[in-house]
Amino acid sequence: MSYDDYRDGKPLIVTAALTGGVHGKEANPSVPETPAEVAEAAAAAEEAGASILHLHAREDSGERAFSAERFQELADAVRDATDDAIVQHSTGGTAAPDALRAEPLRTDPAPEMASLDMGPLNRYRHLTSENTRALVDALHEEMRARGIKPELEVFNGGHLNEALRIREELAEPPYVNLVFGGGTTTVPSPRNLLHMVENLPEGAEFNVLAFGPHQLPLTTMGILLGGHVRVGLEDNLYYDQGQPAESNAQLVERTVRIAGELGRPVASTAEARELLGL
Amino acid sequence: MPDTCEFLERRRTGADGESFEHERPYCTAVDAFVQPMRADVCAKRYDLDPESDCEFYRGAKGAGSITGFDGAGTTDSEAGGS
Repeated sequence: MSYDDYRDGKPLIVTAALTGGVHGKEANPSVPETPAEVAEAAAAAEEAGASILHLHAREDSGERAFSAERFQELADAVRDATDDAIVQHSTGGTAAPDALRAEPLRTDPAPEMASLDMGPLNRYRHLTSENTRALVDALHEEMRARGIKPELEVFNGGHLNEALRIREELAEPPYVNLVFGGGTTTVPSPRNLLHMVENLPEGAEFNVLAFGPHQLPLTTMGILLGGHVRVGLEDNLYYDQGQPAESNAQLVERTVRIAGELGRPVASTAEARELLGL
Repeated sequence: MPDTCEFLERRRTGADGESFEHERPYCTAVDAFVQPMRADVCAKRYDLDPESDCEFYRGAKGAGSITGFDGAGTTDSEAGGS
């Protein structure tokens, strides 16, 4: 969790956020949507060096799906297509009823990891993902009961307070995803990344997620700070300015290449499990 | 009252010629395919309602601000989520 970790060659965990639920093929035709498409993208991302696969389920029309059945179909396809990658389900769901938010945790087997939003997030002009403390606690309780490691989604600095609120209940080490972008996420800048890292809960491992054009520079900085990184079409539709990304694997390959140039080894799936206490 | 937004259509082909394997939600108010998250408003799922929750609907209907206060427009630059 520091520059010393980078210097010591701590393995870098790469998460591939393959599809998401905000945008889809209407934004970039390369975004995988169906279980078969996501599974193919997952296999390519794993081959490229990703050890965690972050999943959202969709309907055939590309619209969001939250049911355990839809996540089951997706997770089964991904597990069949991949070697040994860690499956992480999203429990995010702007405007979706709280009762649906736990559905992605109820597959068989349960996902090894799941996202756990730490607080509110604005969307569009009128929507908010409220993520009340009551919902956060309920999701966390179900994760613990099912042996699922939470990835704490810290959308802004205040959400570090929320992570501290549940610090004692978290399995070691806490895994904190620092989110940078527009709206109610942290303003994307190197200084803010440093600030967020300095204020992490004691003992936490951290991941850097930055939207759009910030994905490349801030994840690279995360590599140097001893953190881990998430890339993929959920967060960034472009490889370069005006150049749509061709695939999730293309974005993972670039990160792996940069890590190699910087002398940071990329974690195998076994190493990722060890680092995260899975 | 219709059970979906009056501007919602299901299409495979868009105005710009883009085409998809499955029908997707399309907003005739802005002539564009709809982002999956916004489609929940178009379909009036989860008690969402275009009249109160969609700026495209309100713009097309000339409905103005819900509160009467026309503050600076917001943009949604978050590409993804959690």
